[in-house]
Amino acid sequence: MSIITSSREFAAAETLPDIMQPRFPRKGLVGYVLRNPTIAIGSVLLLLMIAIAIFAPYLWTKDPTALAPAMRTRSPSAAAWFGTDMLGRDVYSRVLYGARVSLTVGFGVAIAASTIGLAIGLISGFVRRFDGVIMRMMDGLMSIPSILLAIALMALTRGSVGNVILAITIVEIPRVSRLVRGVVLSLREQPYVEAAIACGTNTPLIIWRHILPNTLAPIIVQATYVCAAAMLIEAGLSFIGAGTPPSVPSWGNIMAEGRALWQVKPYIVFLPAIFLSVTVLAVNLLGDGLRDSLDPRLAKRV
Amino acid sequence: MLSYILRRAVATIPVMAFVALFVFSLLYLAPGDPAAVIAGDQASAADIEKIRASLGLDRPYLVRFGEWAWRIVQADLGTSIFTGLPVGQMIAQRLEPTVSLMVITLLLAVCIAVPLGVLAAWKHGSLLDRAVMAFAVLGFSVPVFVIGYVLAYYFALELEWLPVQGYTPISKGVWPWISHLILPSVALAGGYIALIARITRATMLEILNQDYIRTARAKGAGQWTILFLHALKNAAVPIVTVVGIGVALLIGGAVITESVFAIPGVGRLTIDAILRRDYPVIQGVVLMFSFVYVLVNLLIDLSYTLFDPRIRY
Repeated sequence: MSIITSSREFAAAETLPDIMQPRFPRKGLVGYVLRNPTIAIGSVLLLLMIAIAIFAPYLWTKDPTALAPAMRTRSPSAAAWFGTDMLGRDVYSRVLYGARVSLTVGFGVAIAASTIGLAIGLISGFVRRFDGVIMRMMDGLMSIPSILLAIALMALTRGSVGNVILAITIVEIPRVSRLVRGVVLSLREQPYVEAAIACGTNTPLIIWRHILPNTLAPIIVQATYVCAAAMLIEAGLSFIGAGTPPSVPSWGNIMAEGRALWQVKPYIVFLPAIFLSVTVLAVNLLGDGLRDSLDPRLAKRV
Repeated sequence: MLSYILRRAVATIPVMAFVALFVFSLLYLAPGDPAAVIAGDQASAADIEKIRASLGLDRPYLVRFGEWAWRIVQADLGTSIFTGLPVGQMIAQRLEPTVSLMVITLLLAVCIAVPLGVLAAWKHGSLLDRAVMAFAVLGFSVPVFVIGYVLAYYFALELEWLPVQGYTPISKGVWPWISHLILPSVALAGGYIALIARITRATMLEILNQDYIRTARAKGAGQWTILFLHALKNAAVPIVTVVGIGVALLIGGAVITESVFAIPGVGRLTIDAILRRDYPVIQGVVLMFSFVYVLVNLLIDLSYTLFDPRIRY
C-alpha cells in the first residue's frame, strides 16, 4: 500500500501527520502532567507522605509513644484527632510516625535490593561459570513465598527496623537479579556490544559503558515495585508480630494493637490502613507511569 | 511426553535441595542451644557437652544436614520445642482450614479475574478497561488484612450477613463451612485477581491482533466464541503460569488472613510458632509451603502441553 494510486489516497496521506501529533502538545509541567497522569498522581501522593514523614515531629500533637492510662480508647475528638489506643497513646501521632517507618523500610529495601541484585545479575549474566549456581540459588529463594521467607529470616534475629530491611532485601534480591541477568543476556548479543568486544574493550568498561546504562530503566521501574512490596511485607510482618518491635509505632504494629478492639474502635485499624494503602498505591502508580514512559515496549506487554 | 515430565521433575531437585539447605541453616543458626535447654538450669558445662554429643549436635554442618534431609525424605519434620508433638502431625491437624481457604480463593480469583481480563482486552480503552486496570492497581496496593477488616466490618458487623470470624469444618455442613470462608477468601483474592486480570488482559490484547482471530471473525464466528474459545485458549499458557506464581501470594496471604478472621489453620500455627520461637515448627511450615509451591509450579509446567501442543521438548 506504499504506492499512492489515486488522488483520494494522496489526500488521505497528507492528513496523516495530524495523527502523529501528541495528545497533549503543551510544553512544560502542565503538558507533562497531562501526558503522564499516573506519574503525576503517584509522585504528588508520595511527596505528601514523604513530607509527613520528614515533618512528623512538627505535625504530631503528642509524643507517639507516651502512655496516658487515663485517656484509653477515646474516640476521635478535638483533643485526639484520630482517638487513642488501648494504652492511651495518640493514634494520630503514631500514624504520622508510622510513615517514617514504612518509607524507611520501603526505600531502604528498594535501594539495597536494587544494588545487590544489580551486582548479582551482572555477575550471573557475564560470568557463565557462576550463572547456573547463582540462578539455582535465586530460584530456590524465590520458591519460598515472600512473607514466609521474611518470617523465617526474622525468626533468626531480634525485631528491629534494620533487621526488617535486611530480611525483606534478601526476599527481593532474586527478583532484581533475574531481571538484570535477562537484560544482560539480551544485550550481550547486540551488535554494538559485539563490536566493543571485537575492538578489544575490556569487560569492566563494556559493563560500565554499554550494559549498565541499559539496565537503569528497568531497574528503576523494578525498584518502585520492590519498594511497594517491601512496605506491604513490613506491614504484614508487623501485623502478625514478626516485624518491627512493638515499641516502634509502625502502621502494621498500630493495626496489630488495634486488632483486639477493632469491632468497637475500628478507626485504630482503619486509619493506619488508609495511610498504608495510599502510600503503596502512590508508589505503584509511580512505577506504572515510569514503566510506560521509560519502556513503551514493556508497557504494551504488561 | 514421559521424558518431558521426568526432565521437568528432575529440574526441580536442585531448587528443592537449596530450599532444604536454607531451611536447615535456619535451625542451625537459630539462637539458643537446644542441648542447654534440655539439660536444664543446673547442668554443668560437661553435662551440656554430653547431651550435645548424644544429640549429634557436635558434628559438622553438612553431616547434620544430610541426616536431617534423610529424615525429611522419610516425612519426619521433627518435634515442636513447645508442645513436644511431631511437627508433621501439628501441621496435618491444621491443614483443612488452610487448604479450604486457598482452594476457594483460587477458584474465586480465576472465575472473576479471567473474564474481567478478557472483557477489558475486548473493550480496550473503554471505561470498563480503565476500571479493571484501576482495580488491578488497587488490588496490588491494599494489603489483605485491610481488605479483610473492611469486608468484615461491613458484611459481618454492619449488615450481619456473614459470620465475623472463626471456622467450621466441612463435616459440620457445607453452608456453615462456606459462610465462614466467603469473607476471608474475597479478602485474600484481591491481589490475586489483580495479578491474573492484568496478565489475561495483556495476553488477550496481543492475541486479538493475530491473523487467526481476524479469520475467525471473517468466517462469521460470534464475538463470544472468538473471545472465549479462539483467543482464551491461546492465552492459556501465560494465564496458567501467573496463576501458579500467584500461589506464593496466596500462601503468604493465607497466613495473614487466618489471623484477621481467627481461622485455626497453618497460618495461625505459624504465628503462634513465631511468638514462641518454636523453630522446628517454623521450619516445617516454610519447608512444606515451599515444596507445595514448587510442586504446583511443576504441575503448571506440565500442563503447558495440554494447552499448547507445540510445547513438547
